Amino acid sequence: MNKPKIASDWMCGCAGCHMSLLDMDERILQVIELADLRSTPITDLKEPDESGVDVGVLEGGINNSANEEVAHKMRKRAKILVALGDCAVFGGVPAMRNFCGVEAALRQAYMDADSNEPGSQIPNDPELATMTKTRAIHEVVPVDFNVPGCPPDADVIFHVLAELAQGRKPELKNDLLHWH
Amino acid sequence: MVKITINEKQIEVPEGTTVLRAAETAGIYIPRLCDHKELTPYGGCRLCIVEVEGARVPMASCTLPVNNGMVVRTETESIKKSREFILSMLFSERNHFCPFCQVSGGDCELQNAAYHEEMTHWPIQPGWSDFKVDTTHPYFILDNNRCILCRRCVRACGEMVGNFTLSVAERGAASIIVADTDVPLGESTCIKCGTCVQVCPTGALIDRVSAYQGHDESLEEIKSVCAGCSVGCSIKIMVRNNRIVRIEGDWEGAVNHGLLCEHGRYDPVTESRKRITAPQMRKNGKLEIVSWDEAMSAVASQLMENKNEIAAIASTRLSVETLTAFKELFAEKFQSKHVTSVEEGVPTEVVTRFAQTHEGFEGKLDVLRNADTVMCIGANIHHSHMVAGFMFKRNLSKGTRLITIDPESSELDYMANISLKTQPGSDLALIRGLQAVIVQEGLGRTPLSLPDAGQLIEKAVRATGVSLEELKQTAELLARSISPVILFGKGITAQRDESLIEELHRLAVLVGAVDSERHGLLSIKGESNSLAATLLGMDTTFELNGQKVVYAAVGDDYVSRSLTERASKASYLVVQASYESKLTEQAHVILPVTIWAEQEGHHINLDGRIQTTHKAITAPEHVRENITVLNEIALRTNMTLKSDWQKAILARKSSVTLN
Repeated sequence: MNKPKIASDWMCGCAGCHMSLLDMDERILQVIELADLRSTPITDLKEPDESGVDVGVLEGGINNSANEEVAHKMRKRAKILVALGDCAVFGGVPAMRNFCGVEAALRQAYMDADSNEPGSQIPNDPELATMTKTRAIHEVVPVDFNVPGCPPDADVIFHVLAELAQGRKPELKNDLLHWH
Repeated sequence: MVKITINEKQIEVPEGTTVLRAAETAGIYIPRLCDHKELTPYGGCRLCIVEVEGARVPMASCTLPVNNGMVVRTETESIKKSREFILSMLFSERNHFCPFCQVSGGDCELQNAAYHEEMTHWPIQPGWSDFKVDTTHPYFILDNNRCILCRRCVRACGEMVGNFTLSVAERGAASIIVADTDVPLGESTCIKCGTCVQVCPTGALIDRVSAYQGHDESLEEIKSVCAGCSVGCSIKIMVRNNRIVRIEGDWEGAVNHGLLCEHGRYDPVTESRKRITAPQMRKNGKLEIVSWDEAMSAVASQLMENKNEIAAIASTRLSVETLTAFKELFAEKFQSKHVTSVEEGVPTEVVTRFAQTHEGFEGKLDVLRNADTVMCIGANIHHSHMVAGFMFKRNLSKGTRLITIDPESSELDYMANISLKTQPGSDLALIRGLQAVIVQEGLGRTPLSLPDAGQLIEKAVRATGVSLEELKQTAELLARSISPVILFGKGITAQRDESLIEELHRLAVLVGAVDSERHGLLSIKGESNSLAATLLGMDTTFELNGQKVVYAAVGDDYVSRSLTERASKASYLVVQASYESKLTEQAHVILPVTIWAEQEGHHINLDGRIQTTHKAITAPEHVRENITVLNEIALRTNMTLKSDWQKAILARKSSVTLN
């Protein structure tokens, strides 16, 4: 039997959504029974199969050029793209920096904060990704399912993955719908 | 009645009902944000749009009156889509990222509306404009970043409270809620009643004390009555883990309809006095913690030894039950001739004295709502009894006129049409002068013969320092009103001059404030059980006259310095109190008792409404209820108290009808 393939990755988030995924405890075995869990940031395989996956799950918003690349790659290789968590869906906490702008945020982080050594500079290595405004995933690539929550409860993630693995559209309402 | 169809359901509602309210009566919920049942419809958020057959576009149901034969649909695909679009626009306007807002997760009407529409996300991203957060107010914070411009706070401040502090500045997407002319809230004309916070649907107005202390569903809600002043506002005490988190005005409240003042809403949660949690006794000049048994036997033996030589004084914040027991214990059982209240009858005694010949001469608070002229004499209603002030302040912009008469100036003067600054003690001359002008000009509603009118006017001008012109204006304004109300307070009652009340009553009859149908004369009295205390006869001046023992049941009340000095002259002072004070410092025995929220009982408000307060929190372990302490003293001195308060309050004729 060909089990549907699921891949995940994280971008500008805190890894909390993936922690919440692990919070589904033994039910993760049920997910593995139903689906073939491919690349994730917490397993060995780091990139979704070039041949494509059925479901791609992305945690976090997009706030630099590296994240853009991750999002585009996942979109290209996944039939269905799921935005997992408030950062992926809305921009979330990292989007707070949009209120002051990238420049001010970097200055505060690397130069102005009391904890910085005097004379510290903003890193400018050409190999580093370029910072951008923080965006929700749907602002960069089309998203098929938005799963809000900070983080989404394990029950919600289980529901979404189980429904998708069985070829159904996951519906989020009542107890399953929380933005936190 | 008008017949309309909503979602294929036929309903009949009175003419003038809005579609939104009509749907409610049929059990159909239409999502809304700017609507609030105590505020006039505004039609600002557009979330309540419905499809009306024959109408070109969706219409806001909150401002749409029903029409006979109207066919309305609230859940069509296109309406649902529009609602989702409206919500998306609201979310994308400002910083509505839920994870860092204290109302998220149940208490946010905006978030709940989105959940109702089953929205998993919003497709439009914000413009990232940043608004300054105003943290200058002592009780709440204004964060325009979370505001949806529904203007509930603006309407509540103006329409309900009549203060008009909040308004909207700028235009379009830049609109913000500001205080006065965009000054910091803490330096504005805000009177800190907190109504705006209670009506805010989002986290834009945040209560400093209760924020992040748990969602409403994790709080216990106990309906009770505020023990602050004699207005007797209905409140909801929000409790978590035996701690008062917040006080809210009860929208169902018969007196206040949801409104509260600064004292009612915030005093209980910002209490800073030190609680007394164990009985104490003076030993070798120092107060020491003792057992209840030791304290009570000392008190009992002192009282027995000094029978007939006891002066007893109780707080008017205590329940009628407690006051009745107190009166019975000391006046009847211990034969004390000196049983009074901490208010010493200042706001009530003369009123009750006059009532013995004019039973029920005072009106009900409700007359203030429909008054076209209010005359406040010796009543600084802006400072105390604020909620009674809201009842007419909110009508001032609609044409209700205000006359203030007081030697002292108050904030109310700025709103008054006429403000007379009289010489202290000249009230009688002034009232007679007003009568005289009305009689002389033939403006009286009832006949009154004043042969020496000219002299009275002259005397009034001389005694009060008010010009003849001002006196005439005041008299004419009052006499030409259709439904005038005369409100008097401590400035009048403290003089303990019955003729003042008599003349005020005569003036009220003369101008038609009091006739067979209207009762537009009332006094604002003092603390929550002021009226009960005077009905029980506890309204005399407290002055020791050879009494050796003073028993002061002050409960959670504040005690004035003057009273403390007078009570401390006793050779033996027993203080039944909840908090430490100068008085407890002087005590020989301190008996720790419950505060208002830890006990049950009845309170009679200023217009005679008998209301029940409920217990919201449990007292500390060694603290006893006020009435329990009194009953135990009776037991230890081989007496039993009947304490039939319903009968006891009928001992004297009341100035207001009790109900």
